[in-house]
Amino acid sequence: MNRQEILLGNGAIALGLVESGCQVVASYPGTPSSEILPEVVRFVKSEGLNTYVEWSTNEKVALDIAFSASITGKRAACCMKQVGLNVAADSLMSAAYLGTVGGLVIIACDDPGPHSSQTEQDTRFMARLAKVPVLDPSNPQEAREMVGLAMDISEEFRIPVILRPAIRVCHARQNISFGSIKQNNLKASFEKNPLRWAATPRFRLVLHRELNNKLKEIGDRFEKLTKFNFHNLEPGKSYPLGIIAGGVPYAVIHDILSEESRTDIPVLKISAPYPFPEGLAAEFMTACDRVLVIEETDTVIEYMLRNKEKVLGRLSGHVPPEGELVPYVIYDLVNKTLGELKLEQLNKKTDDQAKELVETLELPVRRPTLCPGCPHRASFFAIRKARPKAIFTSDIGCYTLGLNLGAVDTCLDMGAAITMAAGFYHSFAQDEIQQPIVATIGDSTFFHSGTAGLLNTVYNGARFILVILDNLTTAMTGMQPTPALGIRADGSEGTAITLERIVAGCGVDFIEVVDPYDIKKMTSVIKKATAFMSGPEGGVAVIIARHPCVIAYPEEAIPEKKKVKITDDCTECNFCLERFECPALFHDPELGHTNINREICVDCGLCIEICPKGAIVDA
Amino acid sequence: MNIANIVLCGLGGQGILFMTRVLAMAAMDKGLNVMGAETHGMAQRGGSVISHLRLGEVRGSLVQTGTAHLLLALEENEGYRNIPFLAKNGKMFVNTNSLHFPRQEVRAFLDKREILYRAVSAGAIALKLGAPRSPNLALLGFFSALNEEPLSHAELRQTVDKISPKKFKGINLKVFEAGYDKGKAG
Ligand code: SF4
Ligand code: SF4
Repeated sequence: MNRQEILLGNGAIALGLVESGCQVVASYPGTPSSEILPEVVRFVKSEGLNTYVEWSTNEKVALDIAFSASITGKRAACCMKQVGLNVAADSLMSAAYLGTVGGLVIIACDDPGPHSSQTEQDTRFMARLAKVPVLDPSNPQEAREMVGLAMDISEEFRIPVILRPAIRVCHARQNISFGSIKQNNLKASFEKNPLRWAATPRFRLVLHRELNNKLKEIGDRFEKLTKFNFHNLEPGKSYPLGIIAGGVPYAVIHDILSEESRTDIPVLKISAPYPFPEGLAAEFMTACDRVLVIEETDTVIEYMLRNKEKVLGRLSGHVPPEGELVPYVIYDLVNKTLGELKLEQLNKKTDDQAKELVETLELPVRRPTLCPGCPHRASFFAIRKARPKAIFTSDIGCYTLGLNLGAVDTCLDMGAAITMAAGFYHSFAQDEIQQPIVATIGDSTFFHSGTAGLLNTVYNGARFILVILDNLTTAMTGMQPTPALGIRADGSEGTAITLERIVAGCGVDFIEVVDPYDIKKMTSVIKKATAFMSGPEGGVAVIIARHPCVIAYPEEAIPEKKKVKITDDCTECNFCLERFECPALFHDPELGHTNINREICVDCGLCIEICPKGAIVDA
Repeated sequence: MNIANIVLCGLGGQGILFMTRVLAMAAMDKGLNVMGAETHGMAQRGGSVISHLRLGEVRGSLVQTGTAHLLLALEENEGYRNIPFLAKNGKMFVNTNSLHFPRQEVRAFLDKREILYRAVSAGAIALKLGAPRSPNLALLGFFSALNEEPLSHAELRQTVDKISPKKFKGINLKVFEAGYDKGKAG
């Protein structure tokens, strides 16, 4: 039997990349895309390929790297989460006009739910905006096959192609059989053609026309792309209701209908939705009195269907306009639609009794929290203590969870901790109000998009305290290295770039590095920063709170283990539970006061510092 | 066997992904098709975490409510939260120290649906063996003492042995077997 492995969807995508002869892969980590690049690295090592891989500093950089590789004739890809494509949008829009040489696949992973993102945006719309083809896989195996197809289309039509796997593809697991993987030995060559590669606006019009022609041809191709765009109509038959679905919802609807043996409901699958296969859709619409469109997360297919009287979907209120289309949501909406049309409903009526039972139980809501021993918890505690009245702007990473501790007030997008702090400063300063502001940003996020904001802050004279929470890793997305470590994506040695140098290079005059595990020291440094910032020569003050992440570096993070215990001095004031919120601390009704859950306590000893009654001690 | 739908749940950091991997690998080695869904990202930081695992010919990775044959919960409340996934006649195995499992209201419901439920203090078993982070393996061992389907004790044990990192192989097997013994002892 062939070699088989259970791969994450992201692993299947990685396999598709190496199988397609992709020679350059660049990525910036972000859920749900983060595992693609490490899986590429794994295959590159196991198969002895010479594929170039990199963690880029942000998604725009990654796309530029892949684009350049493509115009040297190589096959290239970049991987990111859907909001990462916003960062790379500038590059994407232009690359669509310029075109490609070697295959260029942009993998942008969507997050309906959203589970781990700031929006539920639909990358298929982004593809339409940029005018590039997009493929929408239903499961890992299909995603792997689509990578190859995307490469071929990109190369044949000289156009970037987007693959948009949703989170239920990226983080699905499936057993996958391996085929043969061959090294692609194509050599880079760049044919100078400034008219194209450095096109001026006048020639951009020509390029736009060229792009439109490409799309027309690809559209014809998508009509006959029977592997991914197809229906199961019987010739000459007509139906009261048909379903149109793509991507993950197609897999769900396929399982529901086959489990219930509902061959009376035909399905049109559209997993290559742009350029839209108009003819195929029209054929399906003609055979059906009504069509129900089930797609995630927006109305890409629905907008494209012409005969709107027949269409049921988000616009008609038959499909929820936000949130993930999990199986029971799809089950319910199909059933409701069948009922409304007086058609036979699905067999196993969903029943709500279990759901109602769970509601009556009033189960505690488990919100995500920082891990036991997390250095960010200490930083946030010190920040709130030193600057209780501040506005706390923050950013994207584990430390967004500082909002549980009352130390995060805003989170807009990557890098906005700094730019929003500056915006707040100028808005208040205009009214001659000295509003205290503390911004927090992670090390990786700072590398991603912190410098432009910091330069702007210095240049325009905004005053606030910026705390860079430096845990020496990109923790939230699974511990990828940052540029400060000097470790590259494939584990080889790179040049380390220190935060201190960058911050100094931005023109900041106050820079202090402190270990937040020393909460007292951290508090006093914040006070010192405050004094500098408010002084006549003051400006932005930067504190680098440096302590390794407890998950990435369990040994180094807790050099001195402390077995803490809580004495009967505890008055159940709940200060530690509310303001420190270590998940290992809990109210123990049997003990009559706060207690420590030994199963998850990591013996960091941080809580000893914070109990106002001195009831938490080193045993 | 047609399709087996399994839901695994608990809190971030409890080792749900590893438990899912053991079941998935064991199923693949048995020649079954495997499809599953995992939680990554923000929720892994201590929030509610759920894994879906489907064995057999399926396209979608998520288990439909009312269709899970098996629910494995590393935390009692998370177990309750995911009861809607269970099918009539399904089975539920829960890690809890509580002597009052399941809560009264829940018991009536489970009985009515003919759902089998068993509790085990998997956390305590693991802690006693010096592996406080491994209640997952104790629960899995416990489950394997009472079920042959969809995977047997021997098949699961072999997979734990195969996929545990060298450093943890010994302790993982020990915790797994301790859970198994507990299940056998009734
Ligand atoms: S341990 Fe200290 S802070 Fe926590 S509830 Fe008891 S007295 Fe309050
Ligand atoms: S020592 Fe205190 S702060 Fe550290 S993990 Fe244990 S309970 Fe939490």
